[in-house]
Formats: sequence, C-alpha cells, structure tokens
Amino acid sequence: MASAHSDPGGGPSLTAHKILIAGGFGAGKTTLVSAISEVRPLLTEEPLSTASVGRDNLVGLPNKTTTTVALDFGRITISDQLVLYLFGVPGQERFWFMWDELAYGALGAVVLADVRRLHDCFPSVSYFETREVPFLVAVNCFDDAPRYDLTEIRLALDLDDDVPLMLCDARDHDSVKETLIRLVESMAGTLALTSGGHPGGRS
Amino acid sequence: MVRPYAVTGGRTESADGEVLDVVAVVAAVPGGGGEDDDPLRHTPEHRRILALCERQATVADIAAGTALPLGVVRVLLGDLVMSGSVRVVRQRPSAGQRPDNNVLQEILNGLRAL
Repeated sequence: MASAHSDPGGGPSLTAHKILIAGGFGAGKTTLVSAISEVRPLLTEEPLSTASVGRDNLVGLPNKTTTTVALDFGRITISDQLVLYLFGVPGQERFWFMWDELAYGALGAVVLADVRRLHDCFPSVSYFETREVPFLVAVNCFDDAPRYDLTEIRLALDLDDDVPLMLCDARDHDSVKETLIRLVESMAGTLALTSGGHPGGRS
Repeated sequence: MVRPYAVTGGRTESADGEVLDVVAVVAAVPGGGGEDDDPLRHTPEHRRILALCERQATVADIAAGTALPLGVVRVLLGDLVMSGSVRVVRQRPSAGQRPDNNVLQEILNGLRAL
C-alpha cells in the first residue's frame, strides 16, 4: 500500500489517533465522550430490552435505564493534519470482539471506574496491561457515590505504580480535558525514560 | 430501510481482504472513475461515500456521515479502492508504534487549548 505523505490535491495528509474510553457498564463512557467531543457523538443508546436481562447488571445503578449497544465516538481536531478520535468501547462481554481492532495502534486508553462497582473495570485494566496499551484509570466521581482515598483505590485495583490514577467528572469538559492531558503526559514521560529524550521536548 | 449488508450484496469482507482501521484515512482519487455514473459500478451508497472522500476522511467519519455500519463502510470502501476511485492515504497512525515526543507535544498543546 502506498503511504503517500501528501494529497494529490496538494493538501497535507491527515493522521488520526485513537484514544479508547473503557470501563464497566454505566461508568460514564458516553458522558465523557460527549463532554469533550467537537461533534455530537453517535447516539447509540437503546432502551433495555428483555434481551439484556441477565446480561446487563443494573444493581447499584438506580438511574440507568438504557444500555450502549454501539460505538460512541468523538472527535477532537488538533490541527489540519492531526485529529484525535475517542472511542467508547462497550464493556459487556458480548462486545469484546471489537476491542482488539480498536486497541490496535491506539494511542492510549482511559479506564473509567465507578467506586460503587469497582470490579467492573477489572477486565479493562487487565486488557490494557496485557496489550501494553498506555492507559490511566479515572475514577468518575458520581454525586451519590462514596469517596475513597486514591491509595485505597489503587490497592483495590492492584494497579502498578506507573499507571496514573486520578479523579474525574465525566460530565465536565475541563475535567475530561485534564484526564486526556494526563494520559498523554504520562506517555511522553515513559517515552523520555526509554529513549533518554526530554519529555515534551520540541524543536 | 434495508438490512445493513443488503447494500454490500451480502458481503461482509472487502474485495481485497484488507480490513481498514476505523481511523484509516482515505481520499477520492481525482479522475479515478469516481465520477462514473454507471449504476452497475457505483451504488447510491458508493456515491455517498465518494462524496465524503473528496477531502481526506477517516472510516469512522464516513460511517457517521452515511449512517452506515462500520462493517458495511469497509466493504464499500474496499470496492472503491479496488476500482481505483479511492486510495488509502494512511491505514493506521503509526502501525503499532508509539508516536514520537514531537507528536505527543503537539497533541498536548492541542488539548490544553481546548
């Protein structure tokens, strides 16, 4: 395949990077993508039908009445040549076939955690650990969820020290922005360590 | 309303067997036959995709723009690549490699400016 670096039309060529938003059912993936994306993400939530009874675990989610059945995606234009895409990856096991393809070549991932159902994000954490996709865990601070110390959460998740862990509000643009910045900063730091370069060094 | 894979003639894999990444960048090839009005060559869905490829676009954008499922868009784009109407500008950002610090810095600057 030709990998030309300029458009025959004369324009510069576009590069698109993927950032995955993972986490358990109801952890706030759709909300997070909506909070930061410049285009309205696909509305792919559908009412729960009898088909999902016994699949989607609603215990502890009093207000959750729909389930994400397709991909949410959002777009952040960095420049004419560089665009970030956020993909909310469905947490339920029946959608896992989509993960490998989305994760291949992904820039990194945000795993959203809900302290009321912390175990829901274990599969996502394991997945990115195994695939060596850079990721961080963001605890979505739901209004009615109890507050825990980050150290306790890190222990409960058995998270490596080099995986960033932070609090966020998936509804809040600035909070989501900080989360993505933290993810990319952590990657720049890792890269600097392995290459001996300067983090954030730019000519 | 037709079932999704009716527009691909029931095919679920693209003609050349290559699976385009969801963020693969594609572009229409000027003079590449995309202007061909032959309905046997290009279905209305092919045309809608071609229209979106006039500027470089990602597979995800095209799927969103046409409201077609990703799998369907991949098959139809495969047809257009095979016929020379569309080319793949970039299959994946960096083929599994981490972008260098200059790219990460550019992304950081962009995010901070949001």
